[in-house]
Amino acid sequence: MGELRQTELVVIGAGPGGYAAAFRAADLGKQVLLIDRDPELGGVCLNRGCIPSKALLHISKVMDEVTKLEKMGVKYGKPEIDIDQVRDHKNKIVSQLNSGIVQMAKARKVETIQGLASFVSNTELKVQTDTNDVTITFGQCIIAGGSTSAMIPGVPTDHPSVITSRTALDLEDIPEKLLVVGGGAIGLELGQVYAAFGTKVSVVEYLPNLLPGTDSDLVKPLQRKLKKQCEAIQLSSKVTKVEANKDGTLTVTIKNEKGSSTEVFNKVLVSVGRKPNTGLLNIEATDVKVNDRGFIQVDVYQRTSEKNIFAIGDIVGDPMLAHKATHEGKVAAEVASGHPAAFDVRAIPSVVYTDPEVAWAGLTETNAKENEIPYEKGEFPWSASGKAIAMGANQGKTKILFDPETKQVLGVGIVGPGAGDMISEGMLAIEMGADAEDVGLTVHPHPTLSETVGLAAEAFTGTITDLYLQKK
Amino acid sequence: MIKDIILPDLGEGIEGAEVSEVAVAPGDTITSEDTILVLESDKASMEIPAEVNGTVTEIAVAAGDEVKTGQILIKIEISESTDAIVEKSVLSEETEQIATSPEKEKPPEVNLYPAIEYTSSTENVFASPGVRRLARELGINLQIIKGSGPKRRVTKDDLNGYIKLQMAMSAGSIPAPQPVIDFSQWGDVEVQKLTKIKRITGERLQRAWQLIPHVTQFDAADITDLDALRKEVKKAGAKKGIKVTFLPFLMKALSIVLKEMPEFNSSLDHNNENLVLKNYYHLGIAVDTPRGLTVPVVRDVDQKSVFELSDELMDLSSRARDKKLKPNELKGGTFTISSLGGIGGTGFSPIVNPPEVAIMGVSRSAWKKVYDKVSREFVAKFIMPFSLSYDHRVIDGAAAAAFTSRFADVLSDLDHFKD
Repeated sequence: MGELRQTELVVIGAGPGGYAAAFRAADLGKQVLLIDRDPELGGVCLNRGCIPSKALLHISKVMDEVTKLEKMGVKYGKPEIDIDQVRDHKNKIVSQLNSGIVQMAKARKVETIQGLASFVSNTELKVQTDTNDVTITFGQCIIAGGSTSAMIPGVPTDHPSVITSRTALDLEDIPEKLLVVGGGAIGLELGQVYAAFGTKVSVVEYLPNLLPGTDSDLVKPLQRKLKKQCEAIQLSSKVTKVEANKDGTLTVTIKNEKGSSTEVFNKVLVSVGRKPNTGLLNIEATDVKVNDRGFIQVDVYQRTSEKNIFAIGDIVGDPMLAHKATHEGKVAAEVASGHPAAFDVRAIPSVVYTDPEVAWAGLTETNAKENEIPYEKGEFPWSASGKAIAMGANQGKTKILFDPETKQVLGVGIVGPGAGDMISEGMLAIEMGADAEDVGLTVHPHPTLSETVGLAAEAFTGTITDLYLQKK
Repeated sequence: MIKDIILPDLGEGIEGAEVSEVAVAPGDTITSEDTILVLESDKASMEIPAEVNGTVTEIAVAAGDEVKTGQILIKIEISESTDAIVEKSVLSEETEQIATSPEKEKPPEVNLYPAIEYTSSTENVFASPGVRRLARELGINLQIIKGSGPKRRVTKDDLNGYIKLQMAMSAGSIPAPQPVIDFSQWGDVEVQKLTKIKRITGERLQRAWQLIPHVTQFDAADITDLDALRKEVKKAGAKKGIKVTFLPFLMKALSIVLKEMPEFNSSLDHNNENLVLKNYYHLGIAVDTPRGLTVPVVRDVDQKSVFELSDELMDLSSRARDKKLKPNELKGGTFTISSLGGIGGTGFSPIVNPPEVAIMGVSRSAWKKVYDKVSREFVAKFIMPFSLSYDHRVIDGAAAAAFTSRFADVLSDLDHFKD
């Protein structure tokens, strides 16, 4: 006989969206139960995604910086890598943040239950914990079930040498040869981490570009860097077969225009995107509508088709980003508490934490061209920035897209170190409806990388003195 | 299908109320808008509608009972399917489910949807996220608000201003809707449409009445001598074809007193922070026309003779009656006179004509027995009763009394009219 529970609000998933929703709702006076299948709170982002990968990317970036110093007259010896210590360091960061969330949950009297949740009806769900089954009757529910790495046909998912972002971050060992399948953000970030630790990394991407969908001028500096770091980057290519060898290695068949080839790798990282975890929830027991890609359909209030059930984050669709989930989570909590909130944002920023970083917000040139959206552009190449040159970051670039009529900022794209931090100014400009003058007339500190944002606007208004541009 | 009608959430933190009246009985056929119960809470009395059409099968409460949100009030055999039924049945299912759950006293709150349906209409609005949120909370469409910020950004102040305006409009100049009354039930009636002038004047008068704290000072002037003078002047005027009434004399006298007491010839500025004193004396004259009241303005009264004023008055009033006044001739007044002297009455309190701060009302002059202190006799005097309504924000009672006394003095001293 299972345990019976009753709550005003249940939140499924304790990732960045789920715990934000639970905490916000608790702050608004709701009685909240937070369910996660993992013993640790924080979801993929904290435990097996954003945070551990950033811990490792920090190490690989510093290692890369150190090698640059050789040209500047400072030499270190060859790095010695203690992978166990690296792993411990990463784990410590994660557990520090874990305990922070646990404390915040306690302070708010948000009770957590560990187990896999599955719906019984529109008002009831069952949680299988380690010890028993808990049946929860709820007034309202926020689904923040997240997503899992997608796999591709022909790849044995259960083979220990086939890894995903999750297992790649476990950092079991440093393989000699790694194949990254999928040249998106996750694959390239992890590829660079392993390359820094000495792995020979190859990348296969099905589409003709790395970071598909991203403006090619922003990808170019990263691609140049990757070419130096990687054994091979194969675009417009497809992995058709992965065969396990007796020694634990994998023989991979890659097909492209030129034909098929095979190569042996110690490990294969599959990073071809993520799929929503909708299938784990027995969502069919409710009246919640799910689209053909498995995403739960919601409106701007994060409401599903069942009026007491909300959904947020990766499980409701792209972009699958923690900061989107967090904001949606708060909206769901506020609407559930009777507040007239809505997810009413002008843009969601994207950041690829590679070296160099690539970040964009709002309209991209790719998107504008596809949808025939008129725009004008201001660009500032970092080769004209004193700070960037001093840092050896002169490959970078900052560009801003403007509305041709109102001159308001429609989109911002940055490539270079710190792009992810600098994109926030672009976001603020977009949300505040700032125009080219507003950004250009804002005093930016010198010398910084952030001043390239102001200078890109000035390049557009024609008031720039750090570049000579032909009169328009 | 039998439907339980439960007590809905009454809002404002009211959890329960006392039943003061049960308006239906078992067997009654009711429609969704019929009142089934009247409740009395400490805050208000409320009528609870049936919300469905049907026949009352059972009444679960009696007058004097204390009822709580979610409690069953009556049962209705539903005769017709409506959206309301679906809505309500969802609500009651939740309530039932809650009722069977043993562990919790307070049922999970029913989902409250934002009252305003979201539209993507903020997309082209130049407003920050905080302002967009406030607008959403208040249910204000940002598209209709004119931004006052740099580059016409809609600011929080703009929202506040908009709300204040809306409140002023709903609380002030727009009266509460009046009940429709069929007057013909008591006898024969005839409906006459208000003229445009009447409607506009009505709105302006109502606004003035609501905005201005009015006080009226009553007084009387001895115009025995003035009457004699006027008769002379009238004869002289007749030769020139000019009809001379009392009014030009009153206007002359007013211009004299207004010069001496300038706050009566002023306006408050738009913030009500400054008084604007005017060094010109343009008097508005209320003229009754067949279509309603108009107030043409005679300019620079202080610089004109009684004849000139008489001439001008004849012209203005005849053109007022013929609808031939120019818009410009209705503007710029600094003080208004409304004279009913030719008609009758012993006194009335006129409404100030904003942005002016005072108005004089003149009633019918009459011969009165007045005790003369010098001769110790009652003598016959021609007395003109008049009144002064004023904006008490600008003018004090003492000043008003001084004004009317001085005006009466000026009228009795013929030196002022020799020109």
